[in-house]
Amino acid sequence: MSKVHLAGIGLACALGDDLRSSIESLRRGGVPPTPVAVADGIAWPVHLLAARGGDWTQRLRDTVREVAAQTGDWAERTAPLFVASSSLDIGFMEHEQQEKRLGGDLQDFACIVAESLDWKGPVFTVSTACTSALNALLAAADLIRAGEADEALVIGAEMGNRFTVAGFGAMQLLSPDGARPFGQGRNGLVLGEAVAALRLGSRPARWQLAGGANVVDGRNPSGTEASAVHAMCRGALAQGGLHPEDIDLIKVQAAGSPVNDAIEAEALKQVFVPLPPLVSLKPSLGHTLGASGAAELALLVGCIEGGAWPSADYPLDASLGIALCEEAPRRLRNVLLNFAGFGGGHASLVLKDTSP
Amino acid sequence: MTAWRTVAHFVAHPPPEEWRDDLARRIGRRPRRVGVWTELAMYGARCCLDAAGEASLPAGARIRVSSQRGAWGATHAGLAQLDAGLPMPFTFMQSQPALMLAEVGRCLDWQGDASFALCRDPARVLQLAKLGAPREGLLFGIVEEERNAEPARSEWWRLVPA
Repeated sequence: MSKVHLAGIGLACALGDDLRSSIESLRRGGVPPTPVAVADGIAWPVHLLAARGGDWTQRLRDTVREVAAQTGDWAERTAPLFVASSSLDIGFMEHEQQEKRLGGDLQDFACIVAESLDWKGPVFTVSTACTSALNALLAAADLIRAGEADEALVIGAEMGNRFTVAGFGAMQLLSPDGARPFGQGRNGLVLGEAVAALRLGSRPARWQLAGGANVVDGRNPSGTEASAVHAMCRGALAQGGLHPEDIDLIKVQAAGSPVNDAIEAEALKQVFVPLPPLVSLKPSLGHTLGASGAAELALLVGCIEGGAWPSADYPLDASLGIALCEEAPRRLRNVLLNFAGFGGGHASLVLKDTSP
Repeated sequence: MTAWRTVAHFVAHPPPEEWRDDLARRIGRRPRRVGVWTELAMYGARCCLDAAGEASLPAGARIRVSSQRGAWGATHAGLAQLDAGLPMPFTFMQSQPALMLAEVGRCLDWQGDASFALCRDPARVLQLAKLGAPREGLLFGIVEEERNAEPARSEWWRLVPA
């Protein structure tokens, strides 16, 4: 069975149009979110991609092309392509006349992505809300492990739209001022736009996808479930042949929700004794929903390799009994990345540093 | 390559007139605020599992769902609500495929690996679903709302490695 490695990374997010500029921006303290008006008198802060010319579709094409190019040259472009998104092309739809809306299907967004890359391989859409990109990674890894493909490209994309912002606002999940994961007085999440590309391959590279797990628990469709956090962590560790004490860093899901952050913190403490260092990327990126699995993995690898680290500029909630590390842990062999979200989705990935 | 055995295959295309009553009877409650697409998925999944003679889906099994149009009605309604002001929270939730996965899992009293994916070639989605699947197998569904002249469809397979 083939091992799966990370062969290339691309990222465009609120911090920058590529990974290098994003890391530099993070070093300077990041960028604040921008208010996005969703209705008269109602606006929510969002971490926006840099403004570009052209209509919504053109912006998508240009961004995808640039981000995919960061993963290196794809000579044949016949590998499987996974496009992960929660909002898909809703940002295009909301500008269409009502009678012309949704004339196509859910694959249209992935087709635009594929066309913009002149992609010739099979194209999959994965849409499981905040775990979309992680599930796309797990599916792509299944293909490579089974020997059905030598490479695969996973693109996580959340492009600007009012529908998602307004929907999360209607569900009272958004913060009016800023995301403070695990923070004192946290009052909700802040959304973010991002396009991230992850090139997976069977050929050895520094980072290996050592294990992963996806767990859906429908008991609380908009919240984190402790037993599902346990199951996703343990499932990912088991697939990687690892134990809790083998994990050197956890990239947490925490988005700033008063309740969900507390459930996650408690559940992690039940699996990991003692708790390894924790890092949160959402204050820097925003919650990039379906893209987050790719965008946060890309940014985290960029931070580790680039020697930058996100810092929490707010007091943490002492009652949670956790801390966010202020620099990369000295020993960093196995990293666990956790994601959870809408629809009871919980997903974990173990990233292993194979460098000597 | 692993060979697979079909334990049950359930087709509702279109579903019978009383399908909602049938679902309520099978799961012991009437789904509330989930939207018709999700309800169709719940109906097909439960019927397929019943046809397989399984009271519950094994925890290690996978659920995979595919659809070309997804929650078309809820998405359309949500966009219309946005035009008029703001989408209603339940309409927004109903537009998300992830909510369907949550409700299918809940009606099967199951926690596990569920995902939603599609491809222009539906056979590739099933092939992908089988890769890496555990010995407990797979519950695979294709669910479409009624639209224009096309009837609603909820078609499911319970598959296990042979």
